[in-house]
Amino acid sequence: MSVGFTVKKKFVAALICGLIVLGAMVGVFGMTGTALALPLGGMGDFYVQFDKLEGKGFEMLPQIGETGNSDASPMVRNKIEEATVYNLLIYKDLKLPDGKWIRVNIKGTQPTEIHGLIQDARYIEANLQFSNLGIHEKNTDDYTKNWSQSAEKVTITNAKIVTDYLFQTMVKLQGAKISIESIDKPETIN
Amino acid sequence: MGKDKAERKRIKAEKLEAKLQKKHQKLENAGKFKLWRNHRPFWGATLTVLAGLLILYIPIQLYAIAFVPGSFAFVGFLFGGLVLILGVLAYLYPQFSTVLGVIIMFLSILSIMGALGGFLFGTIFGIVGGALCIAWKEQEIPHLPDQTKESKENNQLIYHSEVASTKSTT
Repeated sequence: MSVGFTVKKKFVAALICGLIVLGAMVGVFGMTGTALALPLGGMGDFYVQFDKLEGKGFEMLPQIGETGNSDASPMVRNKIEEATVYNLLIYKDLKLPDGKWIRVNIKGTQPTEIHGLIQDARYIEANLQFSNLGIHEKNTDDYTKNWSQSAEKVTITNAKIVTDYLFQTMVKLQGAKISIESIDKPETIN
Repeated sequence: MGKDKAERKRIKAEKLEAKLQKKHQKLENAGKFKLWRNHRPFWGATLTVLAGLLILYIPIQLYAIAFVPGSFAFVGFLFGGLVLILGVLAYLYPQFSTVLGVIIMFLSILSIMGALGGFLFGTIFGIVGGALCIAWKEQEIPHLPDQTKESKENNQLIYHSEVASTKSTT
């Protein structure tokens, strides 16, 4: 007859390995709230609101891109090399299979640091302040290069932006709060 | 130095052998459930099933958005479901307990993304359950004859032969 038993040495070794890997993962993702190469897209319009953004290396270009309702819609592409955002709120309204609407909110309670931000916006409502702003025109048929605006530094306050594409090479979202709330109807800005 | 090490190893092996013999003797009078439990990594599998249920709790609460494209809740469903299935498989296929244990630990740790690791409890239970599955082993114990019974029989044989020999001399 055979007897089943636990080999203590093996158990302790496996347990320690598992806890080390867990600790490493929590240390990298959990403590810093850092995510790398984080694209947010493919879900249609979502809204970005913040109290203040301080950025370096700003560039704005015309863009035609896909939205939740259209294959090709005119928008602007904002590129910022480094940005610090205060009181960032990103939210998206979703329709559930039963017809009800919910809003998914991602809120940063602490300043959010972003590197390599690329954002396609369909609507921008904000106070803008630029330093060393330049507007450039180029003789080309390519609409994305025909016209551009760049600034060494940009400060954006009280912003509300309808975004259809957002890419961040590195984002540090400390004190992030993710919540879902029921709403009567979605927010629309045409 | 080498002799001491070999000696310590031998003593350790003997202690383990004695422990397993004791367990073996207990199992001879055990019920059906205890016998069934003996042949599989029972506690490892049980903790794994519990971990799977805990990890699934969060995605189940978010089921409404689980199937929205790009939703992380679907990933939580996947990891929790897999951990649960692996726990059940550990009951059914104890011979694969080591491989199952490794996969259980891996998935439990990854479940932090998409399911918050079942509020971390699911992850911890999964790691411990996986470690127990990895460390579980089944060993064949040779049946040793009952010493007391045999010596009694031998004594009776000696007595009968002595009686036979005294009878023949008288």
